[in-house]
Amino acid sequence: MTTIFLFALLVSALSAASAASNYHESLNLQPFPPSSLLASFNFKSNTTQTSFEKQHFQYFPRALGQILQHANTRELHLRFTTGRWDSESWGSRPWDGAKEGGTGVELWAWIDAQDDETAFAKWITLTQSLSGLFCASLNFIDSTRTTRPVASFEPAGDHIGSENLHLLHGTLPGEVVCTENLTPFLKLLPCKGKAGVASLLDGHKLFDAAWQSMSIDVRPVCAGTDCLVQIDQTVDIVLDIDRSKRSRANPIPRPVPGDKLDCDTSKPYHARDTCYPQENPGEKAWSITELFGRSISGSCPLADSQGSDGTVCLRIAPEREVRPSPESVETRSSDEFTRCFTPPPSTAFDLAVSEHKIQSTVPLDEPVLYAERTIVGHGQERGGMRIIFDNPSSSKAVDFIYFETLPWFLRPYIHTLQATITGLDGVRRQVRTSEIIKETFYRPGIDRERGTQLELGLSVPPGSRVTLNYDFEKAILRYTEYPPDANRGFNVAPAVIKVSSPEAGRPIYLRTTSLLLPLPTPDFSMPYNVIILTSTVIALTFGSIFNLLVRRFVTAEEASALRAQTLKGRLGGKIVALRDKVRGKSSKVE
Amino acid sequence: MSEKYEDQGSSQATMTPQTSASSLPPPEKPSAIQTRFRVVAAFWAVILFLGLPIWWKTTSIYRAELPLQEMLDWAGGKSCRPVFPVEIRFEIPSLPDIEAQQLLRTTQHTLDDLNEFSAHHLRLKLADEEAQQAIEKADTALTVRLLAQDDLASPRSELQTDSTTLNVFYPPSQIPPPASANSPLSSFIAGELQRLFAEEKATVAHILSNNAVGAFTPSSNSQAQQISPQLAESITKRLRRSMKYSETYHLAFSLFTPGSAPSSWDIESAVQDYISPIVQALSPVSNFIIDTQVQLYATFSPTTPAPEYDETQGIWTLKEENLSAFINAAEWPLNPSIGTGPTINFILYVPSPEHFPLLVKESKATSWIIPQWGGVFILNPPLPTRPDPNTDTDTDTTTAKPLSNPPHLPRTSLRPAFLTFSHQLLSLLGTPSTPASLPLRLQTLIRIRAATLLLSASSTLGSLARLTESLPSIPIPAPVAFSVSTTLSHLSASCESLRNGRFQDALASARVAETEAERSFFEKSMVGQVYFPDEHKVAVYLPLLGPIGVPLVLGLLKEVRRIVVGWKGARSA
Repeated sequence: MTTIFLFALLVSALSAASAASNYHESLNLQPFPPSSLLASFNFKSNTTQTSFEKQHFQYFPRALGQILQHANTRELHLRFTTGRWDSESWGSRPWDGAKEGGTGVELWAWIDAQDDETAFAKWITLTQSLSGLFCASLNFIDSTRTTRPVASFEPAGDHIGSENLHLLHGTLPGEVVCTENLTPFLKLLPCKGKAGVASLLDGHKLFDAAWQSMSIDVRPVCAGTDCLVQIDQTVDIVLDIDRSKRSRANPIPRPVPGDKLDCDTSKPYHARDTCYPQENPGEKAWSITELFGRSISGSCPLADSQGSDGTVCLRIAPEREVRPSPESVETRSSDEFTRCFTPPPSTAFDLAVSEHKIQSTVPLDEPVLYAERTIVGHGQERGGMRIIFDNPSSSKAVDFIYFETLPWFLRPYIHTLQATITGLDGVRRQVRTSEIIKETFYRPGIDRERGTQLELGLSVPPGSRVTLNYDFEKAILRYTEYPPDANRGFNVAPAVIKVSSPEAGRPIYLRTTSLLLPLPTPDFSMPYNVIILTSTVIALTFGSIFNLLVRRFVTAEEASALRAQTLKGRLGGKIVALRDKVRGKSSKVE
Repeated sequence: MSEKYEDQGSSQATMTPQTSASSLPPPEKPSAIQTRFRVVAAFWAVILFLGLPIWWKTTSIYRAELPLQEMLDWAGGKSCRPVFPVEIRFEIPSLPDIEAQQLLRTTQHTLDDLNEFSAHHLRLKLADEEAQQAIEKADTALTVRLLAQDDLASPRSELQTDSTTLNVFYPPSQIPPPASANSPLSSFIAGELQRLFAEEKATVAHILSNNAVGAFTPSSNSQAQQISPQLAESITKRLRRSMKYSETYHLAFSLFTPGSAPSSWDIESAVQDYISPIVQALSPVSNFIIDTQVQLYATFSPTTPAPEYDETQGIWTLKEENLSAFINAAEWPLNPSIGTGPTINFILYVPSPEHFPLLVKESKATSWIIPQWGGVFILNPPLPTRPDPNTDTDTDTTTAKPLSNPPHLPRTSLRPAFLTFSHQLLSLLGTPSTPASLPLRLQTLIRIRAATLLLSASSTLGSLARLTESLPSIPIPAPVAFSVSTTLSHLSASCESLRNGRFQDALASARVAETEAERSFFEKSMVGQVYFPDEHKVAVYLPLLGPIGVPLVLGLLKEVRRIVVGWKGARSA
């Protein structure tokens, strides 16, 4: 439902956008019981292809536009994501997963170039420039982290007359997304986060969320021959209502005092010191100011709100009471759960939602597929990958493309790929992989040059769980290839799953979580130890051999006689004699 | 070892301990001494002939040969003495050839008398002489057309602003007689020419004398006296604020406003009308890439003092000393354009209606140049009828309603701003302010740029030479040597072109020389290993060399002593 609702908004925004340069923004709020809230921000602006090429930027950000032109990029998708989408309690993903990326940073782009080498050179230019623009380590996307997916992505824009488009895809699973990425993101907006719904975006709250994803999509949209370049920026966050409502004065979580606990008093053992927590506490009351720490400061005057019901939309149970700020206009959509509000142009806008004991809930969409990927096995040398797909539908099989990129130091043995299936009857059985895997695209990695790319076309029967397993070997890196925190492990990028759904038209995307691969790590003081140890060994052997060769061997007596001849020997002898004399032992000398 | 020891012990076991204590071992066999000598020699031979070369080969850094002396000569101005022979063509349709020649000769003579700066001089040519010198043709800086006009008492000149032609009208009576050395007409022409090129001459003199190459311009002092202090100051100012020369410049026009309006402007036609012609005219010097943007909600940085209200004049003012903080570099997206070449920023700032109108306090100006960065123009657009402040009372809520800027800036209101921007562009590029003719000024720009590039490339070469001399531990890769030789050849080509008066070619060569010089100076692999501390070397070598070196050296010393003793014994014997 959420997806259809969001999609409808998208379509309406698109139809309004067909004319010329314009800007559109929206915010959708949907509480997930018991205490989470999904906030989807969307900002969309257009510019005509001609003014884009002449570099006259109005709503389109100049910095990004110039980078795209410099790198011959026709379509760009950039994602910054942290956290994990909990599909068990939150349902299907916003925007059908089309606007989220794997943990860390994910970037894919269609680049217009003559051949593969030029495309890769342009891609490097693109990543370097974006790295500077977004303060992210995108410049670390090198050939080992770049892949060219075959079936997993399709261009979202209309590319007319561009024959030589190259799709390149890169991920940085270890990148930590934070405020320094949000600030440049906000600077790309025409209203700069100072007016309109973007004024809610604050690094403190945004990166405190349970899950968040920022995306930037640039694509050409053509109607006939006149083309627009569209930039679509979204921020999706799932806030924990309790956590966000915690006051700034008391930011450290402390145990709730006994008298404030929400106890089930009907239990016989309920007493002052025993408490049985309420089972269904219902949904909490909240308001925008409480959650985001600020209210929406008016509306962005550039945004044209025609063609949509309002800027701020809420999807809650119909009987729940909502108190918006005065002067705002409320529209109820045909869908009974959705209410939209248009904030007043220049005054602050807030929205308060009442407490809600569970009577009716907004139905959550069930995801079409659950996917989970883990590393199994033990030891420093080998390991295994296990991917579990769950088809929740009892009637329809799910066809999808599974795409994963593995770093070169993880060497998979594809011949060990095995599939087991657990059907509706709950019996687990091994099947031939060809029964599950319809097609395979496998590009083996080359050490230090490129990673492994694996794309599988899979089909999971209704109500079944399919488990894929394969073994891999861990490579030993060179001394300088280890990062400073080598013992933490190495990030393996999340797998991307593209479910083609014929009814929605657009594919649904899912991503697994990123993995942490422990590699054998050496002792990093090794080189100095090696120098010292080898030097000692060489010095020892050399010294003895050299002495053996050049020394003259005499008996001990001869040696002392020889010593007596030399000045040192005579001096030494006299000193000994003197000492003995002093001690009264002169008789013993000679 | 122990076995051998026992063997020796057993061979002497026949002696009693008492006698053996004082007895010496038998003298060593010569063969044993010989063997020991050979062993020591073999070890040292391996070290000297195998170890040292390998060590040398593996640890040495590649230093390409650089023509250091030649580079230093360029930097010191010993290799090239930039001269600027500016060629001026005369078209004298009304005079016969002989008389024209005579006029030319006297004018040239007067000019040479007037000119005290030898590096820059004007060469007069008749238009038809050109055919003879088709091969080594110099660029013509100016065409002087002499036109006879009867009703004139004294000669009169007229410079065409859109071409490089100076029309001189003269009464026919003033044609100098063939024998005379001087005439009012020729001194008039000479004076006019001198005046036209005065600023250029001063600029060239300034550039040459400022670049430590001044040693070769002994006349610069007298030249400095010749130019007025105001002119000298304006030249210094212009040179200081002008951008570093580049083949490509990005021009970024930005509309900034603290509120949400205006959000659009007629930028395309404004650029077309006011900027494109200049860019077209400048195309022999540099290329320009234009981009524009609109940035709303651009507030001042919190540290900038807010505009003050001037009650007496009803205006908002910015103090001149605060103008440097006007640009909020942290928040305004003014990142340089991507691609080669520097960016020149032009900012059109529309103040919020509360701060209307906004002016600079001291001068009441609305625009200023930020040296080597760009220009700012404050545009106070006409607001919808402003309520009279006298009738505006607290109760009157309708008129007190906040005014707003117009949502769109039409071409007419952009006109003053873009005229200012075009002027700012010219002065940021270092174009002189006189004479009136733009093509003439651009030619001057070419000469000035050629001179600056020549000097800066030379001084970069000098720095590179000094760097190589002072840091013996940095590697010098082959591309650097190649760049240096390219620089040197282009520098001499540029100098040669200057001497022949072909300034376009001189600029082209100097451009290449400058890029190559910069490339060689900023070569990455040179910078990388500048510092490899000696402690590291000690830490790596000492554990090995200590234990091995001591027995080796001692063995060598012993052998040397033995040989010396033996040699002395042989001599005394």
